Amino acid sequence: MSPALPIPVVQLLQVVTIAAAAPGVSGVISRVEARLQGRRGPRVLQPYYDIAKLFCKEALAPIGSSWVFLAAPLAAMTCYLTVPLLIPVLTTFGLPLGYMGDILGGGFILSLASFVVAVAALDTGSPYAQLGASRAKTFGAITEPVVLFVVFTVALVTGTDLPYALAATVRSSAGQIVRPAHLLAAAALFMVILYETGRIPVETHTGTNEFGMIEEARPFEHSGPYFALLKWGSAMKQLILYTILLNVFVAPWGLAATPSLVSVLLAIVALIGKAAVLGVVVAVIDNSFAKLRLFKITEFAAGAFLLAVLGVFTLYLGGG
Amino acid sequence: MSGIVAATVAAPSALAGGANVIAVGVLLAEFGMFRQALLRDQVRLYAAQSALISVLAVVVAATRHLPDLYALAALSFGLKTVIVPIVLRRMLRGIGAIGGDPRWNDIAGSHALSVASAVLIAIAVAAFGFFTVAALGLRSPVLPATALSISVAVVLVAFVLMIVRRDVISQAIGFLSLENGVSLTALVVAAGLPLILEIAFLFDLLVAVVVFGLLIRVHHGRAESMSTAELTSLQG
Repeated sequence: MSPALPIPVVQLLQVVTIAAAAPGVSGVISRVEARLQGRRGPRVLQPYYDIAKLFCKEALAPIGSSWVFLAAPLAAMTCYLTVPLLIPVLTTFGLPLGYMGDILGGGFILSLASFVVAVAALDTGSPYAQLGASRAKTFGAITEPVVLFVVFTVALVTGTDLPYALAATVRSSAGQIVRPAHLLAAAALFMVILYETGRIPVETHTGTNEFGMIEEARPFEHSGPYFALLKWGSAMKQLILYTILLNVFVAPWGLAATPSLVSVLLAIVALIGKAAVLGVVVAVIDNSFAKLRLFKITEFAAGAFLLAVLGVFTLYLGGG
Repeated sequence: MSGIVAATVAAPSALAGGANVIAVGVLLAEFGMFRQALLRDQVRLYAAQSALISVLAVVVAATRHLPDLYALAALSFGLKTVIVPIVLRRMLRGIGAIGGDPRWNDIAGSHALSVASAVLIAIAVAAFGFFTVAALGLRSPVLPATALSISVAVVLVAFVLMIVRRDVISQAIGFLSLENGVSLTALVVAAGLPLILEIAFLFDLLVAVVVFGLLIRVHHGRAESMSTAELTSLQG
């Protein structure tokens, strides 16, 4: 029997795991993507080197920008460090701070982060950054209803909208997995995640690809440690969203049922493994589809909305 | 922690859940036809949709011990997944619609509405179908009632597809997939229907294919286009 960790340590480990593993997951995705394209690709650890390099560089701010420009990366990072407290990252049982907010609460904090980054982009006066911010907010407004309907599905299935409750429901029986409402909600959430993390049907993730850029255009004017924080933050956002999809909807297995040291360590390994597998899936999608034209992104969002709405409908009919 | 795991909408049995997933798949294929701009892809999607219905028929046959349905599933697979798509494709190739002739690009632009708006309208129409049929309170011994609601939604969405696309072929495919919705309905409410009647319905479908083939050829011969927007004048 391994020693039990104090609960606050487990809680802290959730945040540390997300923060430490996030650049690695991005590295795995870009490595796999490069291999699929027949390139050697960057090292898996490359994002860590990038972030470390940026932390050593000088920070510049455009003339005329206010304190908002410099405060935004810190505020966004704070949001990304808060959300892992609310979701089941490592444990099947709810941790004390896990009940501070439900799925919607976590969603609000993530949108707050995206909002402050957009405000900072507007503050720069740079046309590209402003373009990215305005697009991110426009399409964010279209994908928001999808997230709401996914939350409705969760609420109808479990009677609450705590992520821990849905994960426990999914684990409880096979019937909970093949029910159409669950499959539709998970698929809709996956499409939203592809949008939120700026992956292929919506946006090319790598390179500075001018006109099609949405999320990637926003930190154009940031530099040095501030840019490092934004890059790290967006990797963390990606891993947070992957964790929600994996540990709540698709594969809530491998989590620690007790706070013992061994099971928590196993849960960390399992989470990173599952996120890497999901990353491979995302890389395959990246290589199999073309980027949608900007005005076709509404079709993508309409598809996700369709899945989420059908999930709620089938539940109301009693067969979901 | 078991206190918070009180399910409000209980999960259906694995069989009912699986059947509902297949029915939802049929509906999603119907929605997918809104998105498809190429004839080839639309025919392919129709074949996939028909295959899903055959799978559902096999599931019902195996679980409810209705051996007639095996024959029906095989026949419907052969007819709707293999023969009809081949006939459609041959017909389209015959008039040059498949093979890169730029004149046929009007299929892609035949939406009267943008895809996103069409999908939203179809969602509203499907919701109407869902809840009106659910309000009737029909129960079926072989499949869950949800599948019935979904099948009616398939029929209504097929209507929307025929309305918002302005080319003959999308309308033909919309009609054929409407028949898929009807077969799904038949599977739910009348799985024990005599085989001879089901076969008669399937051959009706062949007649529909022939009629649509004729219609497409005549329209193409007169208007040199697939677009029904050309049909503006009456002839005595």
